Amino acid sequence: MVGIVLVSHSFELAHGLAALASQVAGAEVRIEPAGGGPDGSLGTTDDTVVAAIARADVGQGVVVLADLGSSVLTVRHLLENGNSNGHIRLVDAPFVEGAIAAAVMSSAGQELDDVARAAEEARDARKL
Amino acid sequence: MPASSDVLVTLPGNVALHARPAATFVKTAMKFRSRLTVGANGKTADAKSILAVLALGAVGGTTLTLQAEGEDAPAALEALAACVTALSE
Repeated sequence: MVGIVLVSHSFELAHGLAALASQVAGAEVRIEPAGGGPDGSLGTTDDTVVAAIARADVGQGVVVLADLGSSVLTVRHLLENGNSNGHIRLVDAPFVEGAIAAAVMSSAGQELDDVARAAEEARDARKL
Repeated sequence: MPASSDVLVTLPGNVALHARPAATFVKTAMKFRSRLTVGANGKTADAKSILAVLALGAVGGTTLTLQAEGEDAPAALEALAACVTALSE
């Protein structure tokens, strides 16, 4: 199954969204939060993100969603510096909706391209 | 290929089409190749899109309209209708 990594400035936001996505998609998908800086501060660290990707990766690829700004840049920087051989994919998607869409696609056994596309298509999903 | 006729199925009274039940429904739909839609409350959603299905806001007891278009349409409709009937929180 495709793993999901949720990168946020906030520990609580990353963990809360991981819990929500697991609740919807089922516990069999690896959804790994990577949120917060050292000592509970707001921020994103390379080490947290790398560890979360490693936990999420079971060989079929990993989709990474980031909340805003420097979280996105942190992941981008990591992936551009050789921490991915193409099977780790940062997607341009809304954080909550993208995570839910990706998690459900992964739980249905879809492949990396399809899981990533579902997350990005979440940009166009209306709530009402 | 012509669209199949509509199938109407009612959600169990205590099950809204949200969160886990919606994911169960979408995962069932994804097993088929046909184009599948689900309608409720005057809206129609791609049955394979979790976000679209969630946005229907279908509460327990809502009658859903299922439609399928494609080679496995009859089997898909049968499976989706059975899935809806069997949904639980």
